[in-house]
Amino acid sequence: MEKFVFFGGKGGVGKTTMSAAYSVKCADAGLDTLVVSTDPAHSTSDVFDQELGDEPQAVEGREGLWAMEIDPDEEVEHHLMETKRALGDQVSAALVNEIDRQIEMAHQTPGAYEAALFDRFVDVMRSSDDFDRVVFDTSPTGGTLRLLGLPDFLEGWIDRLRRKREKSIDLYEKAAIGNNEPRRVMDGDPILARLQERKEFFEYAGETLREHAAFFLVVNPDELSVRETRRAAEGLADRGLAVRGLAVNRLTPSPDDDENGRGARYLRDRVATERAHLRTLREEFEQPVVAEIETRVEEVKGDFLTEVADELDIEAAPPATPPDGSA
Amino acid sequence: MSDATDDGGGALADRIDRYLDALREWAAGLYHGLVTHPAYEKIEKEAEDLEDTFMLACFPDAFGIPSPVSYYTAELLPYLEDEFEAWERRMWDRGSMLERKGQQYHF
Repeated sequence: MEKFVFFGGKGGVGKTTMSAAYSVKCADAGLDTLVVSTDPAHSTSDVFDQELGDEPQAVEGREGLWAMEIDPDEEVEHHLMETKRALGDQVSAALVNEIDRQIEMAHQTPGAYEAALFDRFVDVMRSSDDFDRVVFDTSPTGGTLRLLGLPDFLEGWIDRLRRKREKSIDLYEKAAIGNNEPRRVMDGDPILARLQERKEFFEYAGETLREHAAFFLVVNPDELSVRETRRAAEGLADRGLAVRGLAVNRLTPSPDDDENGRGARYLRDRVATERAHLRTLREEFEQPVVAEIETRVEEVKGDFLTEVADELDIEAAPPATPPDGSA
Repeated sequence: MSDATDDGGGALADRIDRYLDALREWAAGLYHGLVTHPAYEKIEKEAEDLEDTFMLACFPDAFGIPSPVSYYTAELLPYLEDEFEAWERRMWDRGSMLERKGQQYHF
């Protein structure tokens, strides 16, 4: 199994439960495991009954398990502050206000939140040398797909920017005929250096996602969830990221045969429709069904997590070749 | 002995050198005015134009066009002081493409 394991799916299907259960399974198998929530509506702390923050924290009462919740707002703020600090160091007082406005505006755009989330989770992947496995509990399908699609898109964009910059500097150098000092020089150009740094960052992200990550989709046995799963699987495949398996959650338990009350009849009907959806999942999807978890009356936490972990048919073997985190 | 020869020929050599210097300066001036200056002006203008597209690609939100990458390009801004100012100035200054291209002919 790869070092990075992602759980995705429609909202409310139980991604957090599944990723928590899987990380428990990995930790029990002796792997140092980190579970990361990238869903802005965090519920990992609820599952572990413990306040979690933006840094990995040991989960109480579980050996070899750490958890963290990414906070994009904090990351946006941090990025804004960093940029402003650089601004203060570099730019003359006369222009600071003008550029400051521009920077503020860039941090208010709708893409900022996603970019920050992306930066943070790539950071987590990069600095995960201490862990044998990192499990990502992602935000609902749409957001995740966009997020995972970012590296390719951004790599291309940054590359085009870099080429433009290179060309204009090249022209400035050519314009400096004779003893004239060119207005800009290629060597040590801070802009080119930054663009290059960013490009490497996106390259690392793209490569790691393609080579060292496994994706699982959590699905409920109902029509909406099955459809969304189909779309998500296709969307991920389009980006060269194959879904490894489907984890079916919230199956209704069937009543005993001798029961015939209203509740029992309801359950029997419900089980019948779910069977049909389960069959669709088994027959029409290329991906195997790796878990069939029954609905539990109580919240899945504590010992229940271990129970669910036992039912997960996703191997917890250590990664074959640990990716180089410092690329 | 060598001193004496130098003294004699030195005066003439000096005069020739001075003459050549003046000639070189005139030639350089003429060459600069006829060839170099228009050439580098033209190339520099082209570079400026390219820089403008670069700036526009980085900060389209300055014109109200939302960009998904402004978050990343914003971190370039502190290092783009000269470019930013010049860009803004050129954006205000530029009447038309024709005017911009015509500037180099100094009518």
